[in-house]
Amino acid sequence: MARGESDAAREARPGAWRERLASLVFDPRVRGIALQAVLVVAIVAFAYEIVSNVTDNLARQQIASGFGFLERTAGFDISQRLIAYSNTMTYGRAFLVGLTNTLLVAGLGIVLATFIGFAVGIARLSSNAVISSLAAIYIEVLRNIPPLLMLFAIYFAVLKGLPDPRNSVVLPFSSYINVRGLTVPKPLMAPGFDAFAIAVLIGLGLVAALAIWSRRHRLATGRTAPVVPLAVAILLGAPAAAYAVAGMPFTFEAPTLGRFNVTGGLTLLPELVALTTGLTLYTAAFIAENVRSGIEGVPKGQTEAAAALGLSRAQAMRLVIVPQALRIIVPPLTNQYLNLTKNSSLAVAIGYPDLVSVFSGTILNQTNQAIEVILITMAVYLVLSIATSLLMNWFNARMALVER
Amino acid sequence: MIPSLKAVVVTAAAAMLATPTAAFSQGTLQKVRDRGQLVCGVNTGIAGFSAPDDKGNWTGLDVDFCRSVAAAVLKDAGKVKFVPLTAKERFTALQSGEIDLLSRNTTWTMSRDTSAGMTFTGVLYYDGQGFMVKKDLKVAAAKELSGASVCVQTGTTTELNVADYFRRNGLDYKPVVFEKLPETIAAYNAGRCDVFTSDVSQLYGVRLTLGNSEEHVVLPDVISKEPLGPAVRQGDAQWANIVRWVLFAMINAEEAGISSKNVDQMLESTNPDILRLLGKEGEFGKGIGLDNDWALQALKQVGNYGEMFERNVGQGSRLKIGRGLNALWTEGGLQYAPPIR
Amino acid sequence: MRPPGRLSASVDDRPATPTGSLAIELRKVSKWYGDFQVLREVDLEVHRGERIVVCGPSGSGKSTLIRCINRLEEHRSGTIWVEGEELTSDLRRIEKIRSEVGMVFQSFNLFPHLTVLDNLCLAPQWVRRLPRAEAERNALALLARVKISEQAMKYPGQLSGGQQQRAAIARALCMNPRIMLFDEPTSALDPEMVKEVLEVMSELAEQGMTMMVVTHEMGFARAVADRVVFMDEGEIVEDAPPEEFFSNPRSERTRQFLSQILDH
Repeated sequence: MARGESDAAREARPGAWRERLASLVFDPRVRGIALQAVLVVAIVAFAYEIVSNVTDNLARQQIASGFGFLERTAGFDISQRLIAYSNTMTYGRAFLVGLTNTLLVAGLGIVLATFIGFAVGIARLSSNAVISSLAAIYIEVLRNIPPLLMLFAIYFAVLKGLPDPRNSVVLPFSSYINVRGLTVPKPLMAPGFDAFAIAVLIGLGLVAALAIWSRRHRLATGRTAPVVPLAVAILLGAPAAAYAVAGMPFTFEAPTLGRFNVTGGLTLLPELVALTTGLTLYTAAFIAENVRSGIEGVPKGQTEAAAALGLSRAQAMRLVIVPQALRIIVPPLTNQYLNLTKNSSLAVAIGYPDLVSVFSGTILNQTNQAIEVILITMAVYLVLSIATSLLMNWFNARMALVER
Repeated sequence: MIPSLKAVVVTAAAAMLATPTAAFSQGTLQKVRDRGQLVCGVNTGIAGFSAPDDKGNWTGLDVDFCRSVAAAVLKDAGKVKFVPLTAKERFTALQSGEIDLLSRNTTWTMSRDTSAGMTFTGVLYYDGQGFMVKKDLKVAAAKELSGASVCVQTGTTTELNVADYFRRNGLDYKPVVFEKLPETIAAYNAGRCDVFTSDVSQLYGVRLTLGNSEEHVVLPDVISKEPLGPAVRQGDAQWANIVRWVLFAMINAEEAGISSKNVDQMLESTNPDILRLLGKEGEFGKGIGLDNDWALQALKQVGNYGEMFERNVGQGSRLKIGRGLNALWTEGGLQYAPPIR
Repeated sequence: MRPPGRLSASVDDRPATPTGSLAIELRKVSKWYGDFQVLREVDLEVHRGERIVVCGPSGSGKSTLIRCINRLEEHRSGTIWVEGEELTSDLRRIEKIRSEVGMVFQSFNLFPHLTVLDNLCLAPQWVRRLPRAEAERNALALLARVKISEQAMKYPGQLSGGQQQRAAIARALCMNPRIMLFDEPTSALDPEMVKEVLEVMSELAEQGMTMMVVTHEMGFARAVADRVVFMDEGEIVEDAPPEEFFSNPRSERTRQFLSQILDH
């Protein structure tokens, strides 16, 4: 195009629009956008085709569809519930019971597996041959047992090891241990309970603040303050004081030994214990391997530099090695957390009422709405996975080293 | 993910992707003939109804019914492929076309018959849900079970029945729900539960496997109606008719005194009912798309209803369950088949 | 030998270097890597305030020698005393000796997850239990001495090699050591950065620090060292003041080494 030509002149030239169109067609950015648009349309069309096909097929086969079933009465009972539930409530409520049970076991498992995994991973690198070979045996054995087998072994070992209800082990405060679980007195709320709960929360907050302050104080002054007795005093004192001031805002329902079972009280089910133990031990073995390779991934010079400064091995580990190893450990750790959460669906095999057992087990069977139930179940696991990943990515970004 | 959930997902995905023309327009009869084999969904293992022996041969009442249908359709009771299914997998397996016939101690209920994509074709066994407890608990009736822990298998009407029963009677209970029968029984046997609940027929079978079967007792209470019957996919009337009338033929044969042993002599009978059943008179096979010897083949190769019952769950078996509700209507039971006319 | 407990004296009131007393003493120290003997009955005495340069071909055992002095490596036989304390496998004693002996590595080994200031404050806070404010004050003073005050809040990854090595020297000095060990401190540096690190080391030498330096920088040896020690095949072949070492080495091996290193 000639230099100095005005826009108007260019517009007026015959064939100019064609040239501009051609330049658009061969512009990689325009092409990219166009391709993406075509792809999106294709995916939407495909999804629509599937959905309408499914609806047609279900109608043709006279299979009920839709999500209305969530409003209907469930009619069945669930052995462990963290939220209020009875068999006259809806399937939707039962779904929430299953979901909270899954979250409970996944949360417990993640916390415990992280502690055990780090301990075993560090022990694996111990210079003490006995400790490191014990850790190695733990890792090799537990990583190579199918988790389902392990759950069965643990569950039936737990059941075999405990007495039947009539021969319960009686503990102080009318607590009982037997094959049906550990039962302890259950606090019953009374007026004034809110004040009590707030006092307990404030106490916990104070202790947390105290812990943070104590570390800062230690680093800032080099002196340790006597915080442990103070923390204990707050932890015990605050609830006790609130309990007295609020006029005993709750009483305890003591469990009693009935004809078949210990009735009343709060029960820790053997299924929860077995499932948490199994998932924790299994996942901890993988985390230990991640921790080991993470620590080994920190250059040896770092350990030497820390040692040369007079730091003890434990200090070097905590202040120098582990913070750097975390960069290597966290991404596979995310995977282990996701695996643990997904493996928690093995619960149904040993009678723990998790989401899969309650929702895609009992509720699917009673409503026959496999597609809806499975879709919701998959969506739940997807959301849990994405949430875990986001959290861990955020954490990992914080751990990233600043480079030039 | 656990295996059976995976199976449900796979079959659900299959249901999503299958186009209506491919999976459901061709009749099941044609498909079975083309394949030369009947694919029958059965229980993974329940004494007397369907269980593989140590050589891998399947036996049981549900299994024998599959063989009768194969004999009627393919003239060979051996041409059956048995697909063991868990309670959870069974409906999806039928809906997706993985099996031709579901003969797996399945209770006929309204929701299953109308909104689960399947059609029940009759009652092979009148069952009811009951309870098994340890003898030393000294329980005489189900009403005494308040506060008991109950082991139950998921994916069955059992779970709902037991909830209904305890709710109706204002009793407390603590359910412990397992996916598979072996773990349910193991947990009961380990003392995790006071009660194991299931269909009475199954309770007798399970009791035998406990080793110390004398220490367990099946309570007299029956808390539910559990008519167990075969089911087929909804929308294939011809196939439903075949399965329904094979069952009726078995029952009618017992009533008429035709058994696998005397079926050849019976061909000489002068009783028109017998002649119609055995295909000597009339064109009844044509009505269901089969040859006229359909019932003859089934009776000859598998036997009549009474023979099947006694062999698998009755006096000829270890279970020794009485005929009870499953006796012919002429003998005080409920088994009654419409006439072949 | 000094009475035990000497090391626990407060770092601030230590006496000026008493002439004649030994900072480091090695007697018949031997060490093997598998079948390979890296150190062959090495004897060495280093007096308070002395600057020793150790040189020798690669694989001669010179790095191993100074790494034995703060027990980053364990010697198999013989005896090592550091500031009068014998090095044994007693962990507590090793940690105490290490906190009195600063070490500078070829590859700097700064802690990449901490700022330069935190690198310097870490050991004083956790080992010496100094208050943060005091640790920071010392650290900033030392950073000024090595002329990188403006880098205090940066991370090691953001510094040049020369700056990193100076920070590493400052980190070692933060513990107020009696002895400084340098393990080829300039070998990993680009040529234009070698000078800035050597300057810092020279200044340190002028202030009377007991130093043992493994290096190939013969100019530094000539200018700063009180003695030059030449090692080959795990043995000390030559141990002489620099003027004598460079002009009139006794051993043929030393002569060969010097001709190789000085002729290029």
